[in-house]
Amino acid sequence: MNSFKDSINSKLNDEVLYNNLKNFATSYKKSRSAALTGLDFENLRMEINNRRTYSPDYLETLFHRFKNNAEKAGAKVYRAKTGTDACRYITEVCKTHNTEYIVKSKSMTSEEIRLNDFLEKENLKPVETDLGEWILQIAGEHPSHMVMPAIHKSREQVAEILSKFTGRKIDKDNIDEMVKIAREYLRDYYFKAGVGITGANVAVAETGTIATVTNEGNARLSTTIPPVHIVLLGYEKLVEDFKTALDIINILPKSATGQDISTYVTWIKGCSPSANNPTGDKEVHYVFLDNGRLAFFQHPEFREALKCIRCGSCANICPPYEMVGGHVFGHIYIGAIGLILTALYHGEDKAKDILKLCIGCKACSSICPAGIDLQGIISKLKVITGERYGINPVKKTIHSTIIPNTGVFSTALKTASFFQKPLIAADGKHLKTLPFMPENKDFRTLPAIASDFFTEKFKKHYKKQPDFEKKVLFYPGCAVEYFYPEMGEALIKILNKAGVKVDIPKKPVCCGLPAIASGDGKSGKKIIEKNLKQMGNPEDYDSYLVLCPSCGMAVKEEFPEYTADKPDSYKLSADIAQKTLSLGMFLKKENISLNVKNNAKVTYHTPCHQKRGLGFSAEDMLEEILGNNFVPLEDSDVCCGFGGTYSIDFAGISSGILDKKIENIRKTEAEIVVTDCPGCIMQIEGGLLKRGINTKVIHLSEFIENNLEIM
Amino acid sequence: MPSSIVDQFIEKSAAVNNENYLMSKNELTKIIKPDSYANIPAINLYKDIQIEKNGINKAFIQADYGIAETGTIVLNSTSEKLRMASSLSEHLIIILPESSIVEKLYTIEKYLREKTKQTNSYIAFITGASRTADIERVLTIGVHGPVKMSVFIINDL
Repeated sequence: MNSFKDSINSKLNDEVLYNNLKNFATSYKKSRSAALTGLDFENLRMEINNRRTYSPDYLETLFHRFKNNAEKAGAKVYRAKTGTDACRYITEVCKTHNTEYIVKSKSMTSEEIRLNDFLEKENLKPVETDLGEWILQIAGEHPSHMVMPAIHKSREQVAEILSKFTGRKIDKDNIDEMVKIAREYLRDYYFKAGVGITGANVAVAETGTIATVTNEGNARLSTTIPPVHIVLLGYEKLVEDFKTALDIINILPKSATGQDISTYVTWIKGCSPSANNPTGDKEVHYVFLDNGRLAFFQHPEFREALKCIRCGSCANICPPYEMVGGHVFGHIYIGAIGLILTALYHGEDKAKDILKLCIGCKACSSICPAGIDLQGIISKLKVITGERYGINPVKKTIHSTIIPNTGVFSTALKTASFFQKPLIAADGKHLKTLPFMPENKDFRTLPAIASDFFTEKFKKHYKKQPDFEKKVLFYPGCAVEYFYPEMGEALIKILNKAGVKVDIPKKPVCCGLPAIASGDGKSGKKIIEKNLKQMGNPEDYDSYLVLCPSCGMAVKEEFPEYTADKPDSYKLSADIAQKTLSLGMFLKKENISLNVKNNAKVTYHTPCHQKRGLGFSAEDMLEEILGNNFVPLEDSDVCCGFGGTYSIDFAGISSGILDKKIENIRKTEAEIVVTDCPGCIMQIEGGLLKRGINTKVIHLSEFIENNLEIM
Repeated sequence: MPSSIVDQFIEKSAAVNNENYLMSKNELTKIIKPDSYANIPAINLYKDIQIEKNGINKAFIQADYGIAETGTIVLNSTSEKLRMASSLSEHLIIILPESSIVEKLYTIEKYLREKTKQTNSYIAFITGASRTADIERVLTIGVHGPVKMSVFIINDL
């Protein structure tokens, strides 16, 4: 783990990487949005996902259809079981043709099996023709992104690499010149090579046709000049027909680079005429790679990952990826899909550390054009590798023994709230700098533990509410219970004013998400069962309310999932899940009118688990109520960097993400940031206080209580 | 007022830095240089030339279709010479009959199916000249293939 932490730290200190990825993130969002204008993205990706759900039998059928068509056209089709198998076959073909040089267009599949290494060991000379890949090849490095392989390099670094390779002096600011040099060298290689190797973006079974997609035109030249063409592709590239193929060609460039379409889309069937080949026709080989795919096509969840179309958008949108880049956030495949494919193709051992880099913001799941719930699969893999490789023993103890035992947990926190007294800052609500906190983790001012917990306060002050007909069960969760009871109190006051009675669970019990997110599925399950015993009868409640959307997501998704094996518990959790809402959602549902009382300038940070978890953002609601006093926050729905214990485990990444959020908040010049997640408040408020910035951060519940009035 | 398909094609084609011209068959015949590679069935003009590593200056090639919503031209490049000419010319000039411009990408589905039912075929969708943004995301046009692309839309074809 030490060298893993070291590699993270070295990337966090890489200024070139930081600037390149930060600038790209901003421009990418704009160009993608422009490219998707007029397209029903949600519908399209759902269609693409549905149409590419194959049973293992159907996949075989598709494969054989492709194979028959290809073989009838004179091409050879080889089924490679493993990476080495594929490498050997390809080497043999190259050696048969006595070629020294081989030109390659970009193929993640060839990276997956380290084809170049194998070929070089056999004294063959594969030359990458994609500009970014070629630059890295001559530098002896590997790509850090699937679509922009050299995004981590500055022009100075590229100039140096080219200079060393060519022996020429190269002006670091003359990018045109660098590209011309590549053009010159690579043009040479196309004509020297006896074999061209490409991947395939799709393999259309109905006629045995593949398509390659590039902007540079390097796949065209690689498949035109040499007399032999080898296509290396995974079975997942197979599609039924041209309609599905065009769906992919349509959505891929829009998601990858924000282009309407890539410059070159090339459809190749059979063996095209080739003057360089003594037979007059090109010799074509299709090498279909298994490497685990055929097994995973049988797995109900992992087979979703095989729908990836290699657009790279799950890396482009990932806040932790943006901080550390693809050499850390991935193995060969990068980004969110990279964490998954590393586990599937390269082994759980290679994936166990990098899986932890996922902060759980779900941006990847919402952006994937193939409709894959990437974060959902990552979450499962974390539990799997957690069980196999063990969980941090301290966390394990806390999650399995302390938290589920309400008495012990509450007593521990009560004790801590007593002993923290000398550490409490002047405002009475936060802690002064903790003496034992390592400097690199000390990027936020932390809240003090509440002296009276929420459930205690409820029992003291709110047991006797008017007996309204409409009742809700409010699930506080640990943040409100132990740190921010006033948020819960505000909720009760608001709802009472609106004629709603509020019940709470008898004893405070954690929702189980911290355990599950740490990979401890067993403890999660235990604590979920404990919760269900005190959530009352769904028939008695109009809704189940949460102020913490992470708890809300746990109730909606994890509760049913972890009780799926027990019909009674499952029915209860499914019924509760259906009625689970955040405060904002409830107010909207009930059509409760709110009016603003003062003129404060307000902005809104959208918690990840509100928008992409519970499926609701309070932004529109606030904009409507506040009118001109509302300022939209740029990248409002980008993660604040909290992620629970992530902000401690990966403090450097967390604080880097927070920096960007704070920068955007400052740009709004708002006096108040409203948000509806206590975790986000802990993170954002903590960061602002640490920097001495005056902007207030307040939960929607308290904002409504203090600043709005209920009609 | 929705723009015509031709207008839409020109807009998208210009957005990828193509030069676009509207002209008649006659005007086209006057412009074409006699010593460049040419493959224009519509006016029965074929000129084959030697193509080697250094490429050729210009190529005049008739496209099968134009797709308005993306500014793409569709070229049947099964003939090796034609393929080499379209990938190794410094300046690629596409001759596009106006009647062959369709609105949507999906309209080409049938054509793809028909052409690839044959024993072999190589169909190219081309949207602009060869480009990259691999170095610091700075866009450079003319990496491997053409550094310039023009589209001559023939309005009486």
